[in-house]
Amino acid sequence: MIRFAAVLTLLALVLAGCFSGSGGVEGGVEGSEGTESRLRVGLSFPPTSGLSPYGNEATLATRLGVTEPLVTLAAGGPEPALATAWTQLSPTSWRFTLRPGVAFHDGSPLTPEAVVNSLTRAAAATPAPRALASLAEGRAPLTARPDGPDAVVVTTPVPDPVLPQRLASPELVVLAAGAYADPTRPSPVRAGTGPFVLTRVDGSTGAALDANPSSWRGPVAAPGIDARFLTDGAARTNALRAGELDVAEAIPASQVASITAPQRVVGVPLPRSVAVYLDQRSPVFADPGLRAAARAAIAPIDVAGTIYEGRADPAGGLFGPATPWAVAPGARPAHADTPPTPPTGQRIRLATYSDRAELPEIAAADADALRRAGFTVDVTVLESSAFEAQLGTGTFDAVIVSRSQQLDTGDPIGYLTSDFSCAGGYNWAGYCDPATDAVLATAAQTSDVEARRRAALEVEARVLAADAVVPHVTERARIGVGAGVTGVAEDPNEQVLVTQETRRG
Amino acid sequence: MTPARRLLPLVSGAVAVVLVSLVVAALPWLWETDPAASVLHVRYPERGVDPAALEALRAELDLPADPVRGALGWLGDVARGDLGTSWVSRAPVGPSVSGALGVSLTLAVAAVVVAAVTAVALLAPGVWQAARRGGTDTGRGSAVAASVLGAIPEIVLGAVLVAVVAVGAGLLPSTGFAGPANLVLPALALGLPAGGLLARMLSSATESALAEEWVRTWRSWGTPPATVAVGVARRAVATATPQIALLVVGLLGSAVAVEQLFGIPGVGTLALDAVLAQDLPVAQAAIMLLVVLGLALGGTGVLAHRALLGPAGAGGELPSGVPDASGRARSWAPWAAAGVLAAVVVAGLPRDASTTVPGRRLAPPSWSLPLGADAVGRDLWARIAHGALLTVGTAVAVTAVGLVIGLAVGVGRRSARAGAADVLNALPPVVVGLVVAAIAGPGLLGAAIAVAAVGWVPLAVHARTLAVEARASGYVRAAVLAGASPWRVARRHVLPAVVGPVVRHGLARVPHAALGIAALSFLGLGAAPDSPEWGAVLAASLAYVERAPWTILAPAVGLVLLAVVVALVRETRTSS
Repeated sequence: MIRFAAVLTLLALVLAGCFSGSGGVEGGVEGSEGTESRLRVGLSFPPTSGLSPYGNEATLATRLGVTEPLVTLAAGGPEPALATAWTQLSPTSWRFTLRPGVAFHDGSPLTPEAVVNSLTRAAAATPAPRALASLAEGRAPLTARPDGPDAVVVTTPVPDPVLPQRLASPELVVLAAGAYADPTRPSPVRAGTGPFVLTRVDGSTGAALDANPSSWRGPVAAPGIDARFLTDGAARTNALRAGELDVAEAIPASQVASITAPQRVVGVPLPRSVAVYLDQRSPVFADPGLRAAARAAIAPIDVAGTIYEGRADPAGGLFGPATPWAVAPGARPAHADTPPTPPTGQRIRLATYSDRAELPEIAAADADALRRAGFTVDVTVLESSAFEAQLGTGTFDAVIVSRSQQLDTGDPIGYLTSDFSCAGGYNWAGYCDPATDAVLATAAQTSDVEARRRAALEVEARVLAADAVVPHVTERARIGVGAGVTGVAEDPNEQVLVTQETRRG
Repeated sequence: MTPARRLLPLVSGAVAVVLVSLVVAALPWLWETDPAASVLHVRYPERGVDPAALEALRAELDLPADPVRGALGWLGDVARGDLGTSWVSRAPVGPSVSGALGVSLTLAVAAVVVAAVTAVALLAPGVWQAARRGGTDTGRGSAVAASVLGAIPEIVLGAVLVAVVAVGAGLLPSTGFAGPANLVLPALALGLPAGGLLARMLSSATESALAEEWVRTWRSWGTPPATVAVGVARRAVATATPQIALLVVGLLGSAVAVEQLFGIPGVGTLALDAVLAQDLPVAQAAIMLLVVLGLALGGTGVLAHRALLGPAGAGGELPSGVPDASGRARSWAPWAAAGVLAAVVVAGLPRDASTTVPGRRLAPPSWSLPLGADAVGRDLWARIAHGALLTVGTAVAVTAVGLVIGLAVGVGRRSARAGAADVLNALPPVVVGLVVAAIAGPGLLGAAIAVAAVGWVPLAVHARTLAVEARASGYVRAAVLAGASPWRVARRHVLPAVVGPVVRHGLARVPHAALGIAALSFLGLGAAPDSPEWGAVLAASLAYVERAPWTILAPAVGLVLLAVVVALVRETRTSS
């Protein structure tokens, strides 16, 4: 027994070398001297490709202030970032003037050649970046060439009124030439332009960043960042409450009530709807009357007030407070509701995913409401990638999804086209109406912002009238902020989190 | 033992490795969905249907032509030291898997230390008493305590520890894996329930050891009780050693939920994520490393068992150990506990378990809702009652199947070598569950099959250990010399010595089986999320452990009560 315990102890000592250190993580409770004012940031999903700009984790690098695109998105539209100005030369080409005096983290200057290199490589990436996907269609979605010592000209194969917004995508950030050693997964380590220099990525557990002493945005308040990737929302909340994190993104609604002063949660309305898509290809929901019956059953549920505990906005439609033009009085055209047909025990399969903690609860509430209305309901809750892989295969009759409406570009027409046009890639409602397609096609060709918004609201009214989708809420970003931390960005596009102004104490 | 027989375990291990790699390589064919689609959605969420992107990715993933070629090609690459490249991250698989394995191994060893200390603390008083006064009873109190501990879901314990120790008192870090301080809470969360289970195993072994003749001899010589206790402990630990090895292996891959709660980058999470993302190279490497490690640890357990038995085992001179059946009376306690459970269930059945009332979200216990309401305002009493039959029935059925297979495999075996059982035990139930779900589709039945598929292993190993000891004892050898057929030896001599302790062990695993099914429900592979199955109820309530403890309390108390009933029934049954 003693020998056995000794062996175990010895084993434990040997294995103690296996701790996965990420600088500063050990600052569990107090934090040691040198790391005292480094920011400890908890992000919600782990990178798999070292924060490569091609793919989902591109936003991790922009949220940490490492990489920057030519323009950024603000409420009204594109705003200057690495480009200070832009003009449309022709329907298919735009000229971007670069910000002078910007250097990459490796010391090399931001030149037109560097911008052309980054954009050309991104345009050639497989698959094409999401913001450019609709331009790709079997050809290069854009071409770029230097134009003088301080500008680039970007050309698209078809006229594109929203090209500047597209270039705000985190997948189209500009990196130093050294980042492309592996062209399929460029590395932003010491290759970005933002206020923080990424120095190390520890697999999928954490990353270390230092302040950029020569950031064009001015002096950086925090000396560095220790980022950690915690997939579990409860784990992020616990770490914030235990004082192990200064900033924690995506606090689940269920955890907000447990966060008390001096910690706090900042809610930012997002252009993101949580809605039930009723699949018209399903034998049950092919019937408009049954769709109307489902809508009549689930629409009255106060999801925002109960499951989100008031930390999301009740849906008046697909668009919410993050898009003020949609909720302005009188902006929305009225639509007529289809009269419901009482269901007679039709069996439907309702599915959602577990990564957002609120969705399974919504599924439970919806399923009960649908059962009481007369449907027979099977509920499936899957992990998100498994869920997405089964979407569109006809497995489910209705799905509850949390869906971003801006898709990197801040453009409602792009979102509506992918979700509600006949050929849309995210059309889980199987909704196909040539008249709606015509409205979307016309809107896509106009550069008049007001006209695009009017078209967006018209399409919204059409899909709501058809009961293709039943919106429950529009989401808010719930950012957990630690004691004494200031300057956390409240970005409705979820592209910026930590800035040069973020500081602790 | 001839050299050929010595090689046998290695050969059977190698065959098992090839078989498992074949099954894993066949995953892309078993799954309904295209691996390229899954990988695409992991890399690019919310992207929707994108045929061009899918085609490009399919060309990039070097999906083998068929599972056999895939498995053989993979084994060939491994022989050359190449574990391949992840489909999702496009990074080499080797470093990430070995890193995660190191983390999990550290955690598992720490948890086993906690479990060992817990088990010793639970058993020491009883052994001491028995060594001083004679008799073979290690005490009902410790049996109940061990059962209760063993029935607490690890994840609930973990959530409570984080809330109290890390967030409340700020004593230890809540997340991460940067140093020994990070190890304490997850090791406790995993180790305390495992300690309860280990104590149950050891108490069976201890009672057998106490019944052996040498104990009486030693005591009649006036040997100090401490010496007797140490001797009994050594004997019991010898019997339980293979189980302890299995415990380490089981903790390696099955701690997914606890790893996630504490933000620990372990191999269980890695394997699960890889299977979910259909990242075949990573899944293959993680699962195979778990299997190989499981085989190695299982083998070590067998060797340690042999070493601890010492020359007695090698010489085939083990004393017989049939626990003394006298001295314990029938008891009303299990019937009282079962009565409480049954009354609660029966009284709850007429209540409405399905209606959601948004306004009652997380309502605390009151006159109208004596057990409170869950996150969508359903009556928890009604849900617990409606879920009882489903939960207990499934767990009992799973355990019964495991018991039959375990006894058949364990008693039929002549040597204590590692085999298919050790391979299966090394597989996280979650991974087995994913494979079963891939074949049979997700559901309570699939989860039950998955839990049964791995649940029989500890029982088989236990039976095998006891059978080997029984075969080495004098009276069995005498029977063999007298010309008894192997069947007769197995039925008349080995089985009686094995059945009692293994059935008791099996009973102790009923709550464990319920927990295993619950863990799969948690991942969407078991009962439907709105089913009143206790595991599903628990999973849905975990986020509210601090704000609304009653949502956790109802299903957790149900599981604990089940364990208490089982423990007490067992105590009474074995004494009658």
